[in-house]
Amino acid sequence: MKRIVALLLAAMMMVVVFASCGDSKGGETSSTNSGSGSSEGQTFKNAGKGFDANVSDADFGDEKDATLKVWGPDEYTSLLTEQCNAFKDKFAGKVKKIEVVVQSESDSATMMQNDPKAGADVFGFASDQFTNLTNAKILAPVNAKYAADVEATNNKAAVEISMAKNATTGKDALYAFPETGNGYFLVYDKRVISDKDAKTFESLLKACQKNGKKFIMDVGNGYYACMFAFTGGLSLEGLDGSKQLFNDYDEAKVAASLKAFSKLMHDYKGTFMTDATAAIPSGFTSTATRPTKVGAGIDGNWDTSGIKKALGEKNFGAAKLPTINIDGTDTQVVSMYGYKMVGVNANSKFPRTAQILAYYLASEECQKQRAEKLGWSPTNNAVVDSDTVKNDVAISALLAQSEFSVPQANVGSIWDPFKAMGNTLIADETNPDSYDFKGLLEKTIKNINS
Amino acid sequence: MIKSYKLRRGLANTIIYIILAVLGIIWVSPLVYLILQSFSADPEAIPQSLIPASYGFDNYTKLFTETSSLNFPRWYANTFVIACFSCVISTISVLMVAYAFSRLRFKSRKKFINIGMILGMFPGFMTMIAIYYLLKAMGLLDLQSIFGIPGFDGPILSLIICYSSGAGLGYQISKGFFDTIPRALDEAATIDGATRNQIFWKIILPMSKPIVVYTVLTSFIGPWTDFILAKIIAGDKVNNYTVAIGLQRMIDVDHKNQWFKRFLAGSVLVAVPVTALFLKMQNYYVGGVTAGGVKG
Repeated sequence: MKRIVALLLAAMMMVVVFASCGDSKGGETSSTNSGSGSSEGQTFKNAGKGFDANVSDADFGDEKDATLKVWGPDEYTSLLTEQCNAFKDKFAGKVKKIEVVVQSESDSATMMQNDPKAGADVFGFASDQFTNLTNAKILAPVNAKYAADVEATNNKAAVEISMAKNATTGKDALYAFPETGNGYFLVYDKRVISDKDAKTFESLLKACQKNGKKFIMDVGNGYYACMFAFTGGLSLEGLDGSKQLFNDYDEAKVAASLKAFSKLMHDYKGTFMTDATAAIPSGFTSTATRPTKVGAGIDGNWDTSGIKKALGEKNFGAAKLPTINIDGTDTQVVSMYGYKMVGVNANSKFPRTAQILAYYLASEECQKQRAEKLGWSPTNNAVVDSDTVKNDVAISALLAQSEFSVPQANVGSIWDPFKAMGNTLIADETNPDSYDFKGLLEKTIKNINS
Repeated sequence: MIKSYKLRRGLANTIIYIILAVLGIIWVSPLVYLILQSFSADPEAIPQSLIPASYGFDNYTKLFTETSSLNFPRWYANTFVIACFSCVISTISVLMVAYAFSRLRFKSRKKFINIGMILGMFPGFMTMIAIYYLLKAMGLLDLQSIFGIPGFDGPILSLIICYSSGAGLGYQISKGFFDTIPRALDEAATIDGATRNQIFWKIILPMSKPIVVYTVLTSFIGPWTDFILAKIIAGDKVNNYTVAIGLQRMIDVDHKNQWFKRFLAGSVLVAVPVTALFLKMQNYYVGGVTAGGVKG
């Protein structure tokens, strides 16, 4: 009996070992001929001329009849399928099948790290996952020719955030294609708030209060609460290991900003409400018997369509975040601003085709379609300057806010400490006139790096 | 001190009933909220009041008609199939293991019982990643590319295997029940010429309805509520999701603001087959737990 069991176990082990062995071998050989990363000294004459000028059939090498898997978020699926079909038609014979699978950008990096070989060839992800993905060597470096074009045609901050040190050359190289910007801004009901009221926090809250409507922002969420400190001049400067680095900020100024926000929250108690952002589209909804509850709120581009539906296009207002009066001067509120990128899986069996598809999905053509159909804010300069974007209040508001923002990349464990800070600022027990905001700031910074 | 016994008893009962009523309300209120809101026809995506202002079947119909992005009916069917198969397989295997340990005397029986006990003490999620890689190495996760039959893919089969193959370890309660059935019956049957197998199917099983029902119920409920293992195994194969992963997806960052009420409706629907089965078998269930517990 014992012998039989032992034999069975051994057989099982052998099967597993052999199976996994064959698997990894396949992965290695296929990834060797991927892009080489950007190399200094080389110049590319078509840099800045866009996708069509930079890609030719020769770029596919000996790859043909590729089957690729692409991950994209739910709302983007149908457009993504269209774009992939367009890509297939563009390069007939090179691509056999592109499978589009729904996978939210917030989840895709984790899924990719769980099992890179089962992951998509081309996938969208949020910028704060970039370092994790490059550290895990999941992202293939962008081909130097395309990288030069991406750098020339895209927003500088978006490109910088997609760069990482190449292990072989030791130089900074592009590891993902910037796809869209992602952040929050002010949305308001034009029947309650005039465009002029929307310029400062004080006038905004006064108008809300006068009309008996609420102003909603998620104070108890680090993603939004960090703005209280950022407005005072605090900024994130990347990570050193797991230690969050900050800029050389002026403690007194940040404390003054915290105090100003806390004072607003207490002065407009009952109007300045903290709630999850989901309450904003719901609060803008009215029925025959029930009027709207909310006058304005701070929400992101992902809720824009829901809010437009609730308010009606005519009443929908959007602007960059307002200013706040700190010790007598109106100061622009600074927010967190992230990007979404398209990455290429280093384990892809068709590295060149995958790379070209990712490049295409991040190109001017696709960014423009996304801006038109989904309201996604572009990173491509030509699309930023296009009329489509200029006429879209929500995208314009988001782009205007991006000028006053801290990029969401290489972010450590800041969320919970900022959340606690936000909750303290709005707490009833906090008396804004006597509270030790400097101490609160010190505590928050200490908690971030503990 | 109150002298009258009647008064004292009345008072004590009142206090106890008030406490029980409060506990009962606390326990039931989330369920009431869930069911009420799932029928809500209010225009807001997220409920604005505890009790909806208007009612309708909108959330339910949408759940089954708008399936382009989140395909709830498909996930429901997947889970049902998984639950049925693993229910049958694991019920049979649990009862057989229990019967063997209860009736047969063989070398190292004690050792196997101990090993079973020890293995059962490890938390299930400990081995999940290993299970994933084993299934992958055996090629069980991607049957679509091997067989190419539409709708037939690895995760569902893999989940059935996972849920039913380890089930035998949960034999203890059934063994306790079998131990209470007099061995004299076995002996009588043996004298009449019955084999061990015949004794199990024709004598023991018909007498053990409560424990059969108990095993059926627990193994049927498992797949409906399991999240972690299903999530790991299903990966990005959306069509192979079970309801647990699907419902979670309805309230993730991308969907919450549109899908919250449909999530509530979906949760109510998940409870339907489990509740139906439970009500049908309820009488036996209680009998099974207590009977198995005596000697367990």
